[in-house]
Amino acid sequence: MASEMEFSVFLKGLQRIVGEQNVVYHSDDLLVFEYDGSIDRRVPEAVVFPSNTREVSEVISLAYSVGIPVVGRGTGTGLSGGSVAPPGGIQIAFPRMNNILEVDTDNQIALVEPGVINLHLDTRVRKDNLRYAPDPSSQKACSLGGNIAENSGGPHCLAYGTTTNHVLGMEVVLEDGSIVNLGSLARETIGYDLRGVFTGSEGTFGIATKIAVRLLPVPEAVRTFLGIFPNVESACTAVSAIIEHGIVPAALEMIDALTIQAVQNVSDAGYPDDAGAVLLIELEGLNDEIIEIGHEVEAALWDTGATQVRTAEAAEERQKLWAGRNGALGALGSVAPNYFLVDGVVPRTQLARVLGEVTKISNKYDIPIANVFHAGDGNLHPCLLFDERQAGMLERVMEAGTAVLQVCVDAGGTLTGEHGVGLEKKEQMPLVYSDEDMAAMVMVRDAFAPNNTLNPGKIFPDGVKSIPQSQPTFPGMPA
Amino acid sequence: MESPLSDRLAGLLGGNVVLPVSDIEIDDIVPQAVIRPTDRLQISELLLWAASEHISVMPRGGGTRLNLGNLPKSADVVLDLSAINQLVDYQPADMTATVEAGMTLSSFQERLAPGREFVPLESAEADRSTIGGILSVGASGPLSYTYGLPREWLIGISVIGTDGVATKSGGKVVKNVTGYDLNKLYTGSLGTLGIIVEATFKLLPINPHNGILLASFSELSSSVVASRTLLHSPAAPIGCLNVTYQISRRLQDSNLAASHNLGLLDEGTALFLAFYSGRPQATRRRLDEAEKTLLAKGANAVQRIEGPIARDTLRWITDIPTQICNDAALVMKASVQSKLAAKASAEFSTVTLFGEYPDQIADSGFGSIRLFWPKFGDLQSTHSMEPQPIIDTIQQVRQIVQHYDGSAVVEHCPVRVKSQIDIWGDYPDSLAIMQNIKKRFDPNGVLNPGRFLGGI
Repeated sequence: MASEMEFSVFLKGLQRIVGEQNVVYHSDDLLVFEYDGSIDRRVPEAVVFPSNTREVSEVISLAYSVGIPVVGRGTGTGLSGGSVAPPGGIQIAFPRMNNILEVDTDNQIALVEPGVINLHLDTRVRKDNLRYAPDPSSQKACSLGGNIAENSGGPHCLAYGTTTNHVLGMEVVLEDGSIVNLGSLARETIGYDLRGVFTGSEGTFGIATKIAVRLLPVPEAVRTFLGIFPNVESACTAVSAIIEHGIVPAALEMIDALTIQAVQNVSDAGYPDDAGAVLLIELEGLNDEIIEIGHEVEAALWDTGATQVRTAEAAEERQKLWAGRNGALGALGSVAPNYFLVDGVVPRTQLARVLGEVTKISNKYDIPIANVFHAGDGNLHPCLLFDERQAGMLERVMEAGTAVLQVCVDAGGTLTGEHGVGLEKKEQMPLVYSDEDMAAMVMVRDAFAPNNTLNPGKIFPDGVKSIPQSQPTFPGMPA
Repeated sequence: MESPLSDRLAGLLGGNVVLPVSDIEIDDIVPQAVIRPTDRLQISELLLWAASEHISVMPRGGGTRLNLGNLPKSADVVLDLSAINQLVDYQPADMTATVEAGMTLSSFQERLAPGREFVPLESAEADRSTIGGILSVGASGPLSYTYGLPREWLIGISVIGTDGVATKSGGKVVKNVTGYDLNKLYTGSLGTLGIIVEATFKLLPINPHNGILLASFSELSSSVVASRTLLHSPAAPIGCLNVTYQISRRLQDSNLAASHNLGLLDEGTALFLAFYSGRPQATRRRLDEAEKTLLAKGANAVQRIEGPIARDTLRWITDIPTQICNDAALVMKASVQSKLAAKASAEFSTVTLFGEYPDQIADSGFGSIRLFWPKFGDLQSTHSMEPQPIIDTIQQVRQIVQHYDGSAVVEHCPVRVKSQIDIWGDYPDSLAIMQNIKKRFDPNGVLNPGRFLGGI
């Protein structure tokens, strides 16, 4: 790290580039930038708010020249410590680069700055009967730049794919400050698919300053189904039954008994007290097919042991069915003051078995685990509930979390479906990848960022523990 | 034909994997040896040895697109992957399947059919094209408006690098952000970074009903404009193509047309094909509405086909680029923003070669336009053609796509032309990063040297 003297010269340089008021460096001001939505934290040396690509480029170039690492930060909703500052590093945040630059309805493409909030884009393009499909549960707050870094998912990714399936091109700033375009507005480009490999690179290849995304037409009809089941096993059977009918719903979500109780504690979502699992299914398409497929979905729910099935088509009614799912993580605050959210993915056929194993881990470590997850994708979200003030609790939680990931990997799954590796899961990478696998990945990073000054210390195991000394408050709005 | 290299490889890998070289040419170059390994270890051994001996290796699947690329700097050994062709894992309820690279697309689909699922990959000559080849060239077809490129469906990959080491990226789950997504890197990399040996895909359920709407238009450009309207309506197809008269004539002259009385073309008209798939009732409603839309948008006549014949017609049109390629002096594929497809197509239609206008297959939803210029007369073989007029035509097309911020790849041209151009066209400003990647993955330039853009 640079000496104090050098650092003050560096700060002056930053201020010259973006203006004095757009550099934060007082320790009190920096506190809000020390964490994201996960439990890792580190205070950055400074946070810079550029207003355009040129400023981003100059800031990165200046940092590069003095060897100070840089990480981009969207809105801090990340769930793997991805935007937590590297040691001695600064953050570039994008509240001033939040413009939707163009909505091209004919092309069904939007051009945005990285600070645009996911839901703002979707709301804007719905005026033109279009939508931006990837919808992380944090979409009210998360930014598209962050979505690119993490390759974010969301409930509707079951039918439409994740962020990477919707990004066409971007302008990025590399570690030395140079500006490069990846991909294009055309669906097909020549050469290696750099925008593809950039998406999900967790800020280690470069920082996106302009993003072109695909928009999809809003479907004619949407119908939501809510099935109440006596237990998770029967709900999992329903998931398989729907898939076996050749139906890929737009979304297929599950919440378990513990979550149902928490939701009901906070506000009545209309779930019966003895419900063991709730399944939410959304169909989209032409009215005709929604009716036809809807009958099949309802039949599948009853056949697999649903005790209640509700359905809604009007937007407001559908919102009510979704309310319990959307409020679930917040409601878990009524069970315990902290949670640790695991993002493991398993093949769909392994869901019931893996959830059984998760229950065993919960019992073994004496940590309640609530499950709120994307059942259609096999993307679990076991939520370990705890009170950080208990001595040794955080370590126990981490151990239990690793045990859950081991179960996912043993079932043919992986560590993270949509939250990223970041700081949180880097030491678990060897559960999935060999040294050689990771070496190939590092070769790609070296081609983009040979000096590894963008978001260093993430993704790959280095033995550095990042569990915070000071403790997190209750984090908000995870995916 | 034996060569010293064949003998050495027989010594290294065993005589049974060394094939005669006689029937393979890459841009008129006959390789010194052809190897068809039966296990992955042999691929590792070959690559390690090739790197140490500075021998170049050209991976080959079904050999259908072997001439795509710039002239190779050298082409010593062809690595035929067709014997690495097993289905590794398929669980219908997971809607994923893992397959070895040498399996053909047709075989793969046949294996998935009992589970009532399919992999949304498209390629001409599906009974010859292999999964590895399709991934390497990033093949696409008439339904790319909905299914996009192979990148959208590949979720896991195993690759053998030039150091002989096998690595993987992704896995068997449909959502995965564990580590960098190297699936994207290998897809469309033309075999320049490693040998793809295994791939896992997301699958889709087979739809019970298929339909195609055929519409004739007086001009290609009016067909493209109408297709854009259709694409923005609730009756949007899952894919559509606009084709010029000569190509629609081929359809009309085919057995398909004879047996199903496809007869809506007049001399000089263009044909529009819109593809539908789904539940029967909804599919028919889309076809009904599309028919109205197209007639309102100036279609001279509309005809619809449903059921198995629709599937056969889709297969026929998927294969058509290969058919035409054989009779063409020059084939280019332009990619532009979809809304510019109509304008670009109109401009392309004025670009001549030897006085001939190009035939076109324009995918106005995806934004790709294939251009075919016929050979000059029947007598002229591609070998005797003068390169300069062809180069001029290529330049004209590139000027047009440059104006539209697109790209234009030369998919087929005489070898003498290849020695004077980069078939990939103007380089993106990210070329240096691509070259960096190549340098790290293949420091000795073993894999397909020189075939990709900018000397990669």
